[in-house]
Amino acid sequence: MINRAPLVLGNKSYKDISDDICELVEKTPGPRFFAGFLSANALFAIYLLAQGAIVFTGMGLMGISHPVGWGTDIITFVFWIGIGHAGTLISAVLFLFRQKWRMSIARTAEAMTVFAVMTAGLFPILHTGRPWLAYWLLPYPNQRGPLWVNFRSPLVWDVFAVSTYATVSMVFWYIGMVPDLATIRDRAKNIWRKRIYGALSLGWRGSARDWNHYEMLYMLLAGLSTPLVLSVHSIVSFDFAVGLLPGWHTTIFPPYFVAGAIFSGFGMVVTLMCIIRELVPSFKNYITMDHMEAMNKIIMATGMMVGYAYASEFFVAWYSGVKYEQFVFLNRAFGPYAWSYWIMVFCNVVFPQLFWFKKIRRHIPTMFVISIFVNIGMWFERYVITVTSLHRDFLPANWGVFEMTIFDFGALFGSFGMFFTLFLLYLRVLPAISIAEVKTIVNVGKESGHGSH
Amino acid sequence: MKEHNTPSTEETQNPYWRSLEQWRQDPEFQELVQKEFMTSPLQSEDGQDGWARREFLKLMGASIAMASFGCVRRAEQKIIPYAKKPAEIIHGRNNHYASSYVDGSEGFGIVVTTKDGRPIKIEGNPAHPCNQGGMSARAHSHVLELYDPDRLTAPQHLLQNQKRTNYESVNAKWEDLDKDVIEQLKKGSVAILTQTQMSPSTKALLQEFASAFGATITYWDALSAESIAQGQELSYGKNTIPQYRFHNAQYILSVDCDFLGTWLTPVEFNRQYALGRKPGPNMSKHVAFESLMSLTGSNADERFRIRPSQQAKLMMGLLHELIVVQKKSKYAGDNAVAEMLKSSAGVAQELGLSADVLPRIAKEIWEKRGQSLVVAGSLAAHSENAVGVQVLANFLNSVLENDGKTVDYGQNAPNGYKGSYKNLANLQKDLEAGKIKTLILHQVNPVYALPSNSGFAEAMGKTEMVISTADRIDETSRYADYIAVDHNVLENWGDLETHSGAYSIQQPTIQPLYNTRGFQDSMMTWMKGAGKGSARTKAANNFHDFVKDYWKTEIYAKNRGHELAKGSFEDFWVELLQNGVMNTNKSENSTSPARSFNTSALKAVKPITAPGYELALYATVGLRDGTLANVPWLQEFPDPVAKICWDNYACMSPKDAQKEKLKEGSRIQLKANGQTLDVPVHIQPGQADGVIGLAIGYGRKAAGHVGNNVGVKAVELAVWKDGVLSGTGSAAEIKATGKREALAGTQGHNSMEGRQIVVEETLAQYTKKPGSTIHRHKIFSMWTPHQYTKNKWGMSIDLNTCTGCSACVIACQSENNVPTVGKKYVERGREMHWIRIDRYYIGNPENPDTVHQPVTCMHCDNAPCETVCPVAATTHSDEGTNDMIYNRCVGTRYCSNNCPYKVRRFNWFDYTEFKTPTQLALNPDVTIRNRGVMEKCTFCIHRIRNVKAIHKVEGKPLRDGDIQVACQQSCPTKAITFGDLNDPNSAVLKVFNAENSYALLEELNTKPAVQYRTKIRNVAALEGRPAVHEEHHDQQHGKHKEGGHS
Repeated sequence: MINRAPLVLGNKSYKDISDDICELVEKTPGPRFFAGFLSANALFAIYLLAQGAIVFTGMGLMGISHPVGWGTDIITFVFWIGIGHAGTLISAVLFLFRQKWRMSIARTAEAMTVFAVMTAGLFPILHTGRPWLAYWLLPYPNQRGPLWVNFRSPLVWDVFAVSTYATVSMVFWYIGMVPDLATIRDRAKNIWRKRIYGALSLGWRGSARDWNHYEMLYMLLAGLSTPLVLSVHSIVSFDFAVGLLPGWHTTIFPPYFVAGAIFSGFGMVVTLMCIIRELVPSFKNYITMDHMEAMNKIIMATGMMVGYAYASEFFVAWYSGVKYEQFVFLNRAFGPYAWSYWIMVFCNVVFPQLFWFKKIRRHIPTMFVISIFVNIGMWFERYVITVTSLHRDFLPANWGVFEMTIFDFGALFGSFGMFFTLFLLYLRVLPAISIAEVKTIVNVGKESGHGSH
Repeated sequence: MKEHNTPSTEETQNPYWRSLEQWRQDPEFQELVQKEFMTSPLQSEDGQDGWARREFLKLMGASIAMASFGCVRRAEQKIIPYAKKPAEIIHGRNNHYASSYVDGSEGFGIVVTTKDGRPIKIEGNPAHPCNQGGMSARAHSHVLELYDPDRLTAPQHLLQNQKRTNYESVNAKWEDLDKDVIEQLKKGSVAILTQTQMSPSTKALLQEFASAFGATITYWDALSAESIAQGQELSYGKNTIPQYRFHNAQYILSVDCDFLGTWLTPVEFNRQYALGRKPGPNMSKHVAFESLMSLTGSNADERFRIRPSQQAKLMMGLLHELIVVQKKSKYAGDNAVAEMLKSSAGVAQELGLSADVLPRIAKEIWEKRGQSLVVAGSLAAHSENAVGVQVLANFLNSVLENDGKTVDYGQNAPNGYKGSYKNLANLQKDLEAGKIKTLILHQVNPVYALPSNSGFAEAMGKTEMVISTADRIDETSRYADYIAVDHNVLENWGDLETHSGAYSIQQPTIQPLYNTRGFQDSMMTWMKGAGKGSARTKAANNFHDFVKDYWKTEIYAKNRGHELAKGSFEDFWVELLQNGVMNTNKSENSTSPARSFNTSALKAVKPITAPGYELALYATVGLRDGTLANVPWLQEFPDPVAKICWDNYACMSPKDAQKEKLKEGSRIQLKANGQTLDVPVHIQPGQADGVIGLAIGYGRKAAGHVGNNVGVKAVELAVWKDGVLSGTGSAAEIKATGKREALAGTQGHNSMEGRQIVVEETLAQYTKKPGSTIHRHKIFSMWTPHQYTKNKWGMSIDLNTCTGCSACVIACQSENNVPTVGKKYVERGREMHWIRIDRYYIGNPENPDTVHQPVTCMHCDNAPCETVCPVAATTHSDEGTNDMIYNRCVGTRYCSNNCPYKVRRFNWFDYTEFKTPTQLALNPDVTIRNRGVMEKCTFCIHRIRNVKAIHKVEGKPLRDGDIQVACQQSCPTKAITFGDLNDPNSAVLKVFNAENSYALLEELNTKPAVQYRTKIRNVAALEGRPAVHEEHHDQQHGKHKEGGHS
């Protein structure tokens, strides 16, 4: 029988695993971490300043105008929501399919989901003209009639989709962490640390009953999360697909958006894993080159799906015979925003093709660059969809342009600051790899006899 | 309403006091006095007795407020109930007062809408024979001039030094001013410089004033039509401006004449023109020869490009063709004429016209002789040959037997444009010679209207005293010693006679906002102070009395045959104030015998040639001579053709721009007559090659906060010599600076891209089967449509009668409190107009056909905006309107994205901060929109509600036409029909059912409640339709929004 490649390298004992993973939480971080954290904070500060100024003065500070009513905020919202998908896919779908290789990356991927959804969730609120009234999008009993939301509006569906997704992801992520939090609690020497992690671990004692309940719940939550992988981005795509704007009004959008989301999500996971491997060298034994390669394969596959969607949009535009539709796609590829279209095509379809080569699939610097390209490409995909469809629609007299202002850039780059601030904090205070799960896939005990024949 | 003088502080020093507070000059009392006049302008006529009681009420209110302070939550400010209100005022209800308004020399009968005593809107008076309810963008804007924050609030004494370079001023007291002025006037040698006065009583008063002080009156209009009058004099022996009748002309030939935009009385001409454009056997054909792409040219059936220097050549060529070649008219055998026209035989080639054009036009126009009209020379075309061009136009009209038919020279002669630059030059000479001791300036701004090197400012310095009546310290009045601030038109009494016999009255609709005094009252005060003036003046307490007496003894007395004037004068007066208008004119269709044309006048035609670029100065529809430059509505008013606002720019033809490697917005140094200006370039399709157009009216330095330093002062390029201001036709040079800037354009793209947006058809096609060029879509719906059981509002816009004049844009802005956003944000596409006029070019960009299409909210039955709003802030009413609920809107802008017509406007910033007192111009019936809220055309829902409510209270059924929307009301051509589609007899239903009616983007099944009727062109065939894909065209020009950035 051929041995499968081990999922965890370095002949780790259970103690090694606990030590390796808890080290990050228990020790004072080094200067590299602080440098990264402070840069993220600086970006986050820019975000707060930009969005603060916009809320205080008006949406007019951003580049959106007439006819391009949606811009950076919506583009970046869809971008971050998309990012989240890989996390759910890895932690829930692969769990249901019993893919054990997911175990060492699931926690961080899920964390990425949570933070991405948090980052994303702010944008639809802040993009409104009167964000202080954004709670009106929620259907709640009120004294205005009662006045309900318009259930026909995709933006209302969005509210449900995103809030459900955020809730389920957070609960799933947190429940998965409970045994590990208990581990940290048990290892804690400081009384406050003990108390805090004690509270967070919800009285976990590690008894068989605990495990029984835990695994049942975890599986149920995985089952609950799985349809969300498909539904959330389908519904986000309805924001566009339900509109009658040429370039938006297409039935391919739900699957196309989901594929794109998984694609971008894996791109982001690869980016983050490359960074983690660099920041925490001991994690290289858990997040192995095999993991990276597997994810790169998914990136290539989903990248081709996205490429297919691009081609199919053109075909359908031609086949429909609707000249507005045809014009929009020609305008996308050859109009004033052609540059963004071709950035999108190259980043999303062409560059991932390099992963046909095993060397590249297993070469960290190259995959890091490609994963960044994927992220850029997927941001531009939403840019292309939003801006190029809006800027030239039915009546040529209305045509206009979208030019990003300093506030757009502040909101866009600042959102990365918010994401990374949260992510780096997470690395320091929560177990970044599932200790309990990883322990099930090392060969300690099980295979020692086998190996010493 | 009677004139009521604001009590000045001096009044309270009287020994006669009315209350202790007054006697003490209590500051609180002073404040109350002022507040009184802000809120209750309609002082009762017995105001003298009402004072004490009013004060008592106020103090009661104040003391109650103070007594309750601290125990209950009450307004901290003092309030008084409107307990004794004037009889005609009902809180919240509009009052309408008939009045008159003059814009330059264009007169309007107007109806002023007031709310609680403040004018908020100006409408056209349907009874007035000139505009017949139609308005211009400028006339609408006037209400904002009343509330201009930059207006002077008190008479000024300018602390001039010897050289008149010190512009500092202090508030003066009327008494001191009057004393000084009267002393000065007594010295004699007085000159009054004013624009044409069309008010009979003001003219009478001016004459009186002139004889009292031995004054000379100089009439001068910045936008002069003196070349027309001079041309008439040369041709027919009488210096006059005839009345042109476009509605009687079945063939209109316009040569560089923007009669729909800026020439003479455009609102009247728009109305007439539309009458003649009714499709049918008598539909007029309009051929335009133009250097610039004017609004008029954009409406022409056939349009040809010529340079300004070729205007005369073209008409000579046409005359040659008519008289010499085709041997038509009684001049056919006239050798002298033939001799003069001989040189024009081969002119077609020189003008770049194909050989068949002139013979064909000559033939067509001859067939319509007696029913054709030749007009030439735009107002600002002060070219060297301006008179010659007019003589030629007159000759053509005489040859074509139009004189006395479409050219009415006697019966309804217009009273405007009596001024001339010759007069101004004579005055300047007198000033320079030191012959004038006192100069009075009224409604003029010569320092701005003339180039800086004109020497007029220096000439004013040679007088002992300059008195201006300007409402601000403008370019000219800064050289004055005193500014005797005139009332705004809406604050003053007056009258108007636009055409001889077409009388209207001007009523004040608000107490003067400030310590101002009408010019007429000033004249009367000064005459009385000097012990002069007629018995009428001496008997009159104020100008109101003067006007009334003038009407009693002059107009009423002489027109006793008129139906209004049959009864007693008091009855007549009341009725006049109600109607606003007394028209004693003959019908617009009466004819008179032709005058004999003096062929020797043709010698006035100068052969001019201009190699290289030629300058063409022109006036814009929005700003014209620049007098209303401080009105933001007009600055943000997109030019009806170029669709650019907040700037003037050098218009160049696409070919020239390509040759000079210039792009839209490239800055150039434009040099003419030794002066250089730095201006951006606008590439204008349809402009003649070799011509550089530049608009006057911009570059004001002392207009106010809004109008200062917008654009450049184009007149600097003109030459002021021998009583002629000539700029157009001057040789121009251009030099690229390498810089580029964005022009604030409101239209993104100029081609319809072959889409069915504006549908055109030829007259022949229309006659055969209307609407045959409309591509109808097969539409089906899965849903049951909305049921409208009561009313269903609909609008129909006739693209054939719409000329694109854009009066509706400002009408809507005024009615609906639409904010302006400024140049920077117009560049970003954030203008807020609820109705916009899309202008598309069709065919060759060198000389395209043009169409105009007003676009409002379509109030779709299946509205795409309604379904996507998450908070249901935009909903469908049971009367078919699409309502916007501002309070509920959170501003996702999804509705705007999903609107295929993109008619929704977003409040990007807080536009609700108003500089006092501009907020007084707001219409309280229409909500001010918060920041972050979407807004759009409401079909004037407040008017619908208002009329329906009144009808319900009064128990009357609603009739078709009772409800008029603002754009419809102001349209001079009546292109907009609005009404109830559920009413089987409504006018709107009839036109909705017309065969050539179609909905915009009807294939989307949005089922708009706005439909269009086709544009009908009186040509043999439409060339180049459907429009070719003009991507290259777009990149070259017209990308104001898209490519205008540097």
